[in-house]
Amino acid sequence: MSAQTTTSPSPTRHAPRPSSGITFSRVLRSEWIKVTTVRSTVILIASTVLVMVGLALLGAWGYAQLAQSINDGSLPADLQAQGPGSPAVDALTTPSSGLIFGQLLIASLAVVLIASEWATGMIRSTMVAVPGRTPALLAKTVVVAAVAFLVGLLSALVSYLIAQPILGSQDLDFALTEDGVLASIINTGTFLALVAVISMSLGILLRNTAGGVVTAVGIFFVLPVIMQLLSGLADWVTDAARFLPGEAGNKMVAVTASEGALTQLQGGLVMGAWALAFLAAALIVTKKRDV
Amino acid sequence: MIEAQTLTKRYGAKTAVDSISFTVQPGKVTGFLGPNGAGKSTTMRMIMGLDNPSGGQVIVNGRPYAKHKAPLHEVGALLDAKAVHTKRSAYNHLRAMAATHGIPNSRVNEVIELTGLGAVAKKRVAGFSLGMGQRLGIAVALLGDPQTVIFDEPVNGLDPEGVQWVRHLARDLAAEGRTVFLSSHLMSEMALTADHLIVIGRGRIIADAPIQDIIDGQSKARVRVRADRPQDLLGPLAGDGVSSQVLEPELLEITGVDPRRIAETALRTGVLVYELTPLQLSLEDAYMQLTQAEVEYQSHSLSPTAPDTTQLTIPVEGRRP
Repeated sequence: MSAQTTTSPSPTRHAPRPSSGITFSRVLRSEWIKVTTVRSTVILIASTVLVMVGLALLGAWGYAQLAQSINDGSLPADLQAQGPGSPAVDALTTPSSGLIFGQLLIASLAVVLIASEWATGMIRSTMVAVPGRTPALLAKTVVVAAVAFLVGLLSALVSYLIAQPILGSQDLDFALTEDGVLASIINTGTFLALVAVISMSLGILLRNTAGGVVTAVGIFFVLPVIMQLLSGLADWVTDAARFLPGEAGNKMVAVTASEGALTQLQGGLVMGAWALAFLAAALIVTKKRDV
Repeated sequence: MIEAQTLTKRYGAKTAVDSISFTVQPGKVTGFLGPNGAGKSTTMRMIMGLDNPSGGQVIVNGRPYAKHKAPLHEVGALLDAKAVHTKRSAYNHLRAMAATHGIPNSRVNEVIELTGLGAVAKKRVAGFSLGMGQRLGIAVALLGDPQTVIFDEPVNGLDPEGVQWVRHLARDLAAEGRTVFLSSHLMSEMALTADHLIVIGRGRIIADAPIQDIIDGQSKARVRVRADRPQDLLGPLAGDGVSSQVLEPELLEITGVDPRRIAETALRTGVLVYELTPLQLSLEDAYMQLTQAEVEYQSHSLSPTAPDTTQLTIPVEGRRP
């Protein structure tokens, strides 16, 4: 049964072509192909931009209405007495006001992109092609973080531009050069990029879409609420709550720093530290575990 | 060339692969045969660096798989048919895999043609049959034109034409001097494809030899004899390495003696012999004998009278390898 093939096998090495082999930029390209070739991913990214811009427009319209009520004197007294928020100050947050929803969508996207590889078995192909594992995960994280950054930046910029006419009707419009405005717009992207890194790390650690999304929502949305409920118990709870990833991230886009809160830079550093810690844990665990 | 040394994988208290050592040589097709749960897939996953061994090591083309700079050019593997994101098309899946090594799109198109996926390459993998999934897995394995190929159960789900194609592909790759390592639980498939067999059961290697040796080794001259007074034959024949089994009052199976000696003894003792059939074991029987004690999930006959050793005594004529 083997006569024809056992004769003079030529054990020639099919040497790898010099141009071929794993490089980080090639792995990046591979991950880029993966992100762009699943239709639902592309749709989710596009809808994130739409939803964020939509929310910002809604916010701008709200501020304009509020300002009009104040100017008319038709604002209820209790609302008038409330808080530091004058429409003119609040309006400055318009570009980043889609974040609340944007972070939810980007967190889900990041978890889905990696956890679906485990769900479908794709991860085995990925890890066979890039057996070092770390470059593959790092490349995917870079691609998703970059997409998240662009989604945030683009949404905030578009929101700024099309909110101006609405705000302008009540003289609430503002220039990009005003203090903190441009940084807030850029940081809308930075915040989403860091949300993506943390969520992707959760997806890598949990290897499960539902578990990853629930955990991400827990960290970004539920944990702050719990901390607030507990804040009556001790002062340190309130202190610690400022350093939660979501809370710190929100300070990155705040245009006016309130007393005792983190500044844009501090918020960014705290959230960046969280992202690094999650990512490092994910990479170390993946290196050790079986795929 | 694949070299495993005391390779071990434990999952908790269970040992899936138990300190196995073997070498898969280039230039021939090596079959990796064993019942379900014997440790075949676990071994292959360790070769490809997906599972970390609990002990020992395995190297491919001179070093652990993960240490190669261009691993897809060294080893191509089909581990399971649907290790693919189901919402992506076959073409884009191949493109993403190729991109990691800078393999050009022209090669992607080549392997699509080679594996006969042309008509469905742009369709989403979700709609693929198991057979098309296998072809895509093989296409990925061949992307880097690797020196060593590893196929885990490659003919699963393939139609007869596909089975033939895999068989020829494996033989052609080996003929080009490559190392070809195929797993299967189907001995008949191995009989047609493999030159060399590594038989594994319960995580241990039971046999590692050229396929013909395995068949020969398990079939020490076995002869079926019909005679009118079988007991009178057995006395004079008794000796070292000779065993016999009375299947019917006048039907015997004698192991360890060649037919001529039986005939001579019959002539001398005046026993009438009316059948004398040398039995050759098929690969299937050899495999059954080898793995019988090693099968993890054994099915039991529903009949209470059937002894566990039935497989050893069924006549095997007409099932030549």
